[in-house]
Amino acid sequence: MDYPFWDIDIGYGIIMAAIAVIHVFVSHFAIGGGLYLVIAETIARKNNDQLKLQFLEKLSKFFVLVSVVFGALTGVGIWFIIGLLNPAATEVLIHNYVWAWAGEWTFFVIEIIAALLYFYGWKTLSAKNHIIIGWIYFISAWMSLFIINGIVTYMLTPGDWITTGQFWDGYFNPTFWSSLWLRTGICIMLGGVYALFVASRLNADEFKKRIVRFNSLWAIGGLAIMIPTMLWYVSAIPKEIVDAALEANLTPIKAMNATYIYAALLAVLLIVFGFLIPKRYNIVVGIVAMLLALGWFGEYELMRESIRKPYVITQYMYGNGIDVANAEKYQEEGLYESMEFKTDDKAADLFRRACRSCHTIDGYKPLKPAFDGTDEAFITQIIMGTHVIRGNMPPFIGAEDEAQMVASHIYTQIDKRHISEIYNLEGVALGKKVYDVRCGKCHVFGGFNDKSESLLDLTEEDLGDILDMAGDFADEMPDFTGDEKERKALIDYIMSLNNKESN
Amino acid sequence: MPDSNFLSAPLWLIEVLHIVTLSLHLIAMNFLFGGIMVLLFGQFEDKWNNPFVQKYIKMLPNAMAMTVSFGVAPLLFVQLTYPRQIYSASIISGWYWLMIFVVVMIAYYFLYALSFNKQTPTKQKIYLSIAFACLLYVSFIYSSVFSLAEKPDLYKLLYAEGQGGTIINPEIGSYLFRWLHMLTGAMTVGGFCIAFVGRKNEKAFKVGKDFYLWGMVAAMATGFAYMMGLGPLMKPFMKSPAIWLVTISFVLSLGSLHFLFKKKFAIATTMLSVSFIAMIYTRHVLRKLSLVGFYDPSEMTVNAQWSPFVIFLIFFVLMVGTVWYMLKLYFGKQE
Repeated sequence: MDYPFWDIDIGYGIIMAAIAVIHVFVSHFAIGGGLYLVIAETIARKNNDQLKLQFLEKLSKFFVLVSVVFGALTGVGIWFIIGLLNPAATEVLIHNYVWAWAGEWTFFVIEIIAALLYFYGWKTLSAKNHIIIGWIYFISAWMSLFIINGIVTYMLTPGDWITTGQFWDGYFNPTFWSSLWLRTGICIMLGGVYALFVASRLNADEFKKRIVRFNSLWAIGGLAIMIPTMLWYVSAIPKEIVDAALEANLTPIKAMNATYIYAALLAVLLIVFGFLIPKRYNIVVGIVAMLLALGWFGEYELMRESIRKPYVITQYMYGNGIDVANAEKYQEEGLYESMEFKTDDKAADLFRRACRSCHTIDGYKPLKPAFDGTDEAFITQIIMGTHVIRGNMPPFIGAEDEAQMVASHIYTQIDKRHISEIYNLEGVALGKKVYDVRCGKCHVFGGFNDKSESLLDLTEEDLGDILDMAGDFADEMPDFTGDEKERKALIDYIMSLNNKESN
Repeated sequence: MPDSNFLSAPLWLIEVLHIVTLSLHLIAMNFLFGGIMVLLFGQFEDKWNNPFVQKYIKMLPNAMAMTVSFGVAPLLFVQLTYPRQIYSASIISGWYWLMIFVVVMIAYYFLYALSFNKQTPTKQKIYLSIAFACLLYVSFIYSSVFSLAEKPDLYKLLYAEGQGGTIINPEIGSYLFRWLHMLTGAMTVGGFCIAFVGRKNEKAFKVGKDFYLWGMVAAMATGFAYMMGLGPLMKPFMKSPAIWLVTISFVLSLGSLHFLFKKKFAIATTMLSVSFIAMIYTRHVLRKLSLVGFYDPSEMTVNAQWSPFVIFLIFFVLMVGTVWYMLKLYFGKQE
């Protein structure tokens, strides 16, 4: 463990998403917008369409400000934030893929200069030279995507790299091509949606009708590429990763479904306001279309990031920056000794290193509500069994006494009253809450690791026996350490389910 | 499982690339930051309506674009060779470090606002001052973080005191002159750039020339003060080849001053550029000396990735060629 931990109140996931989603939303437009501009300009010049050329010049100003300023700097922001949030993973990426990044930088430089010359060149360059620079811009921007795509997809599907360590094995990995074409479709779709946004401010005349239809067609074209490539991308993700998500972590599945909804809504909006009533494509519609596209991208990124759990680099490094290769060693010898950055609070140091990348106590993915009303022994056992609970969490990478310390650290910050007092519940309602807190982390009725079959036919007495022996069923299974009231309520709750089943 | 703790090319090659790309970044940055200083503090006639000042202002967003673009590569290479130091120091000052890109965006906005529309003199002054303040912040945080990165004992101590990323390197005395040297150096090169851009405008040339002269005096003074404050590093520094580079840099700077005064820009620019690279290399040697006993990048395993490197090299040549071609198209005769 060679890095300090940036302990901030905001969840890592939120701060990363805030910067990354905005960046990709802009950077993909920077590519698709470039293609849109140069093709639209070529058509407009061929038809001597002065109104369209004026529109494109206006759009290119917006384009330069958004892509060169916002896109480039949020890209720098990603550089900064990944180094702060997960320096260990960033170091792995840099050491393995520095030449890819350096290559991407060369196209980035071309892209920025071409964008500026294209923008300034409307009045000074000949049509031919202007279009040449437009094409140089688009090709270099797309090459940036081509190169970065290899690194981004490597994190989810490192392919043969995991055994060979060879640059190209990880670079041209199983999801490389599908992701590349999916992202190309996204770029085209965004080029149209941004152009529609600029067009939404035009007066509702015949030109607006024409340009809105053209832009909508463009965006729909992008969506049309996205649909098959998204299916291709999902099918290219190795089965074991998808199965793990389906079994224990529904977040990526829900996110993927949400992308379909956003795409469908966007398509409907484009058909209605883009083709049927184009003159009414006003600023509100423009903003809604942008938000739908942003929503799509947010869900896609959430899917991509969450399906990778518990890893940041699949099978190589866990989300908390601990490398898989050393996990066993830390579990045997302890994690703390390997840490170079320490405070005077050993438990807090261990908590930061093992848990804090994903969880806060009472903010993002909070642990307090998950453990309120429980006890130190229960928390310790849950920590020792993180790898089997819902959500595809990594195992606890530390020794048993360190798990106890982390548990103690969490315990000092939770509500220590009984569950019935905290939530003011009685009877079956209390039982359901007790189930959620004490059992639901690993067993969901009708869902993850379902135990309905073995529980719902049992008598009250049998259920009591099971609770008494809970800790004996498996190493990761905690003892039932709730009080008598909770025990009874829990049995009543399961019995009530049993009755429902019978009815 | 693959071990990722390696260098993907010989260290000297990565260092050369670092120094070359850092030079490009600093030249663009000095044009921008130094230029803003000269515009703000220089005595131009009817400054905010002066055509030369307006011309330079219009160049600033492009200079910013180049500063950012050229800044990416050296940051990549320095993180490759000093990952633990750079990341650790930046985490200690996490919020200040992260805010850099936001602050640069603000500066960018005001530079574009100045460039796109002619503003009133008061607004021009305010906008340029805001951009200056933003860049001043960036320069200070860079000096603070990069000097902290050279003190592993200190950043470990600071981490024990606070983990929230709100600590600025408290040993300000150790990097104050380093920072001031960067500022005065930027002002000096900014003066050179103003003199060069305004070479056909005697008044603008004089302003630039004066800033080049007095900026150089100030940069030498702060550089000397920084050197005197090196403490235990002074002895190894004096014994290292870097001291010769400092001497060469000093002589070349004076030479470039002489030739700038004579408006011999080609030789003045060459001398300044060589001097500049020598100073950057000196900085590089100082970092190595600071980390003796803690970390030596030359001890890292080299696991060269030649095929990706050759492709990068081809891309690099392609970049230079394409940029040249585009500029030729832009400034050439239009059909």
